[in-house]
Amino acid sequence: MIPYNPGSLQKFLNPFGHGPRSKEVPLPSIRDTARRRWRAWVNRRIPRDDRRHLDRRSIFILPTGAGLVFGLLLVVMLLTGINYQNSLIYLLTFLLGALFVAAMHQTHNNLSGVDVALLKPGEGFAGDTIVFRVRLQARHDAPAIDLSSDAMAGPSLSIPGNELVDGSLEIPSRERGYLLPDRIRIETRFPFGLLVAWSWLRPATSAIVYPRPITPIQAPEGATEGESVEADQRSQGQDQVELRPWREGDLSARVDWKRFSRNGDMVVADWQGEQGSPRWLDFESFPGADHELRLSYLTALVLERHNAGEPWGLRLPGLTIEPDQGDQHRKACLRALATWQRTPPERGAGV
Amino acid sequence: MTARVPMLPSGALLWLLSGFVVLLLPQWDRLPPWLIVACLLLAGWRWLAQQGRVRLPGRWLKLAVMGTLIAGYIATVSGHFSVDTAASFFVLAVGLKWLETRNSRDFFVLFFILVYLAAVNFLFNQGIGWTLVTLAGVFILLVALQLLHTPGTSRSPVSGLRRLGGMMLKTLPVVLVLFIFFPRMAPLWSVPLVSGEARTGLSDSITPGDISSLAQSSERVFRVTFGGDTPAHRDRYWRGLILDRFDGDTWSQWQETPPTRLGRVDLDAGIGNLANNQYDVLMESSGQRWVYALDDSRAVSGNVTEVPGELFRLERPADTSIRYRMALEPAADDAGSLSPSERRRYLQLPERGNERSRQLASELADAADSDLAFARSILDRFRQQPYFYTLRPPTMPDDPVDTLLFDAKRGFCAHYASATTFLLRAAGIPARIVAGYQGGSAGADDAYLIVRQYDAHAWVEAWVEGRGWVHLDPTAAIAPDRIESGLRDAMAEEGSFLEDDWTSPQRYGDIAVVQWLSLQMDRINYNWQRWVVGYQGQSQMDLMSRLPGNIGLRELGYITAALVGLAMLVAGIIAALRHAGGRRDDPVAMLVTRWVRSLEKQGVTVPPGVTPGQLASLTARQAPAAGRLAQAFARDLNNHYYGPDSRRLRAGGSQKPLALRVMRRRLSAIRREIQRSTRNRPAGRESSSRSQRLS
Repeated sequence: MIPYNPGSLQKFLNPFGHGPRSKEVPLPSIRDTARRRWRAWVNRRIPRDDRRHLDRRSIFILPTGAGLVFGLLLVVMLLTGINYQNSLIYLLTFLLGALFVAAMHQTHNNLSGVDVALLKPGEGFAGDTIVFRVRLQARHDAPAIDLSSDAMAGPSLSIPGNELVDGSLEIPSRERGYLLPDRIRIETRFPFGLLVAWSWLRPATSAIVYPRPITPIQAPEGATEGESVEADQRSQGQDQVELRPWREGDLSARVDWKRFSRNGDMVVADWQGEQGSPRWLDFESFPGADHELRLSYLTALVLERHNAGEPWGLRLPGLTIEPDQGDQHRKACLRALATWQRTPPERGAGV
Repeated sequence: MTARVPMLPSGALLWLLSGFVVLLLPQWDRLPPWLIVACLLLAGWRWLAQQGRVRLPGRWLKLAVMGTLIAGYIATVSGHFSVDTAASFFVLAVGLKWLETRNSRDFFVLFFILVYLAAVNFLFNQGIGWTLVTLAGVFILLVALQLLHTPGTSRSPVSGLRRLGGMMLKTLPVVLVLFIFFPRMAPLWSVPLVSGEARTGLSDSITPGDISSLAQSSERVFRVTFGGDTPAHRDRYWRGLILDRFDGDTWSQWQETPPTRLGRVDLDAGIGNLANNQYDVLMESSGQRWVYALDDSRAVSGNVTEVPGELFRLERPADTSIRYRMALEPAADDAGSLSPSERRRYLQLPERGNERSRQLASELADAADSDLAFARSILDRFRQQPYFYTLRPPTMPDDPVDTLLFDAKRGFCAHYASATTFLLRAAGIPARIVAGYQGGSAGADDAYLIVRQYDAHAWVEAWVEGRGWVHLDPTAAIAPDRIESGLRDAMAEEGSFLEDDWTSPQRYGDIAVVQWLSLQMDRINYNWQRWVVGYQGQSQMDLMSRLPGNIGLRELGYITAALVGLAMLVAGIIAALRHAGGRRDDPVAMLVTRWVRSLEKQGVTVPPGVTPGQLASLTARQAPAAGRLAQAFARDLNNHYYGPDSRRLRAGGSQKPLALRVMRRRLSAIRREIQRSTRNRPAGRESSSRSQRLS
């Protein structure tokens, strides 16, 4: 699927980002190719899952920059020992070298056996940072474990043995829809910072990013001129309301409870021609506006209604949410706006 | 211009600072005092800055401090360049770096240079005590590094120390294997550690009076182990150098020592068993080329060579301790003869001066019928007339020989040796002063000898036609105790033995505990130096030659690589096994694991960190028949982990076998039900779903 984004569409048509006039088509650099292959290999090795038990199949370990310098230092020390025929310098060099290897085991063991689970991806508006809560647990003490995503460093956690520790990772979002971080990096440099061991959690559950709310300049009521009569009717308020008996499926918020308490009749307030009624927030009421912009308008209106404590319904092409109010309703509407015409990333999908 | 104080963890910084101070300790007597004070001040500055009491210097102040200290350094070394002064500069650089320590990158830089400082310490101090101090310093540095990377946890200081200690213990076998087998190559290139500073020790000239300053030092010169019996005290004349040129005041060497090229001394004499007539000398660094040997010795180890005068020399000055091996071999009887030039040399005297002594020489020569008789008559004169052996001789500025022989009659070995040689030469008998050490005291259990500076001695050799060089010791005639049992006994009456050295344990030789302690310490150090510090190429080859096969350096390389590879393989296997068997230590936890696994086998998603109660409800949803049983089992588990007995159990008590057996039986019933549940329900119904996630 091509996401609705003119930029990315252009990129799709012209993957190298050069105009047609450019004579040579540069090949992707060796570095990029290597990186892509490496990523693909890692992704095969670590399938998407919200939980991961880190073990030696999925832990990678390399010396850090400081570790490389330390190695160089050991070589220099060994040379000093050889040149001055100094047994004690030999001894010190071997001691530190052996400690380096032991540190390799410690760094690896610190990560090995840690259970990582994505608890609950957060929700938020496009442009916000979305919080991913990650829970870690290990049977052994695992100090100094850092979480990070490709975009942002996360918290540094210390996990006491057999205890649960939660950490939140903030991932910036850019556009509405499903937000699935490619991978969350779990790394440790314990004990000396000379080596770094890391693994990835590739979450399967996406966060939902709502459209960025944009308050429409015009009220949606006056969107279509032809409906002015109707609009007049509407402006007169509830007098025009038709009352009809309750049917199965009617929302409880719309039952006229006053009447019910008076004579026991379940009567539901119904408006004539609900299209364009103030209770309905409609995708179609912003003709000419870009689709994404319409969604942003609707998001702003949903928030407005919710804050005002008024009920509302939502109509999107192919999707209708009956009028209601409350947190659940708000959330359902926002989710609908976020995911409209977006396919959820498939579980276990590749890159 | 001021700089903000960066936030490095205070704990880590404090440990790193302490590591620096500990690593400075072994160099306290080598470094100029102002440099040590400056380093401590700079480190203190950094610590105060950490606490927010002062600021780290801005650029200009930093430059000023740097300039001042470097100027001070240049003034101190005044143009001498050697590894020694370079090491001092290194210390200065480390000190200055403290003002630049802002982030963890600087922290690493300091860590690295401090580790190298530890290696530099080993260049100058190899005693076991200072080795332990230096290793402790490195340990502290590692603690600091660990603290930097373990932020937060309150338990980390203690558990960090324990972890680091455990790590070191575990790596010890590998370190030892590497130490023994890593091929000791010849130096690739090298700069000797020549230092400009004066050292205590024999100098290559004697102005009578010099040796008395040595007599006030109990510093160790060398230690000897004999393959056979230790010779008697009076026979232990350790010849070092010959002084044969007299200018009226000072005796010096006729031959200038040829200048030495840069290079390194072979430090090692092998570790093969000592033959009966052999002895093994471990000499402390002296900065000189000469080594000490008994009469009639032959060099066994290749690092010493014989030079004319039956003396032995190293290839280069000894800038660290050196071990060499000699054999006693009675010389062949052919005495040979002196060449005319040699004769001239050994008869050389100043034209004038000491006239009374010249007079005495000719009188004695007239009375004696042979050269030997003449020599004997000199010794008799010393024996019969009131000459005294003293460490507090009067000064003798003019005609020292005359003053000693006729006026003062008080002196010590150098005075008498000088006078004797003068008389011999005046009488036409070739003679020379030999400088070295005499005697030496027994080490612990009489296993070896310790020769100290106060054993320094000078005696005479005279050329007797037909017999060669004859050993004459005027001191033996005046103070037989000095030769029979040493300076301490000789000076017992005068009380001048080590009178200025209050700290030397040798001064308190009459206190048994002090003596015993100092001997035990010395023995430990001696063995440390012989077997650990001195474990170099020759020793390694000797050790390897005892193993089957023809092991050379190349083979050693292979062996080292193989052993290290093996060690890493074993470590890897142990780690893997421990990981696999990690849950076996707790039988109840094993039960939980089995429960979770049996649910997962049926496709139920079990979130991590699930409680027993949640597991029970998952089970009930999957296999309703097992619901009640699962709840009972969950209660068992909760009781086990959180019940009244749980503290005792976790403290190491064992689970009652009965309770465990009941739990096992319950679990197998549950698992049977879970298995049955899948068979009974249609395959399409997938019980696992995300909504079951419990959080």
